[in-house]
Amino acid sequence: MISHSKIRIDLVALFAACALFLSTIEYMIPKPIPFLRLGIANIPLIIALGVFNNREYFLLLLLKVLGQALISGTIFSYIILFSLAGSLSSAIFMLITYKLFKEKVSRVGISLSGAFASTISQLIISRIILFEEATYVIAPLFLFSGLISSIILGIFANEFIQKSIWYKNLKERHV
Amino acid sequence: MKKITLIDIIIFILFLTISILSFTLYTNVSGKPEVHITSGDKEFVYDLSVDTMATFEGPIGNTSVEILNNKVHIHSSDCKNQICVLSGWIDKPGQWLSCLPNDVFVLIKGKQDDSQGEEIDDFSF
Repeated sequence: MISHSKIRIDLVALFAACALFLSTIEYMIPKPIPFLRLGIANIPLIIALGVFNNREYFLLLLLKVLGQALISGTIFSYIILFSLAGSLSSAIFMLITYKLFKEKVSRVGISLSGAFASTISQLIISRIILFEEATYVIAPLFLFSGLISSIILGIFANEFIQKSIWYKNLKERHV
Repeated sequence: MKKITLIDIIIFILFLTISILSFTLYTNVSGKPEVHITSGDKEFVYDLSVDTMATFEGPIGNTSVEILNNKVHIHSSDCKNQICVLSGWIDKPGQWLSCLPNDVFVLIKGKQDDSQGEEIDDFSF
């Protein structure tokens, strides 16, 4: 579907800027427990599926992770490991889900699979470096919050794709 | 154009099932509950049925954990936000309290009962 392997850097930058803006908003929302986040910064990644090719998609992902780490000042701490593992695994999962089912899956399904991969990989890392044995205690909380927030994000992405004229033009112009 | 599809629902059900299954990680622990308190690198184990008041020193100051009438709560802590104190009481295996700024983690674990005999003694007592 997207054959040209040239990277459209301006488009990637626009999506990455959008992700950074949303993660800045996210940091302003008070959290009941650290690490428990809504994940609105992932909306551009969910929407970008079908517009970008694989290389562009992973560039966007890398920009998002590095940008978030810069904003929150966690670039040289262990938190970036969580962020990287979560984002990378969710991106891979979302790509696979999208490539596998194409039109048969809506953005809700994509968002759910991404959140699932991200939660599991972060729990594994948490088990290794942070909480060790205690990880199994927080697992249900993280899984359920990921489930709920990803449904909300998926519904939003669905609506956006349906309603946005900008997105429609983008797809017509670039794909 | 894009509606919720069958695949969406299948992914949702898979996710939900795993989330629910993750609860069984600690709901099937039975036996006498123990209170495990981690402070820094050290771990302390207390009996839930014995009333205790213990204070732990962390990077910020002191955190006092109180065990009373088979329930645990963080009595006081020198941290700024006091979330741990506001968390209230816990009494079931799997429940936990935590003071992240002061690096104190309280978890009730169900002790695995090795012999059936002890278990019965507990009940008849």
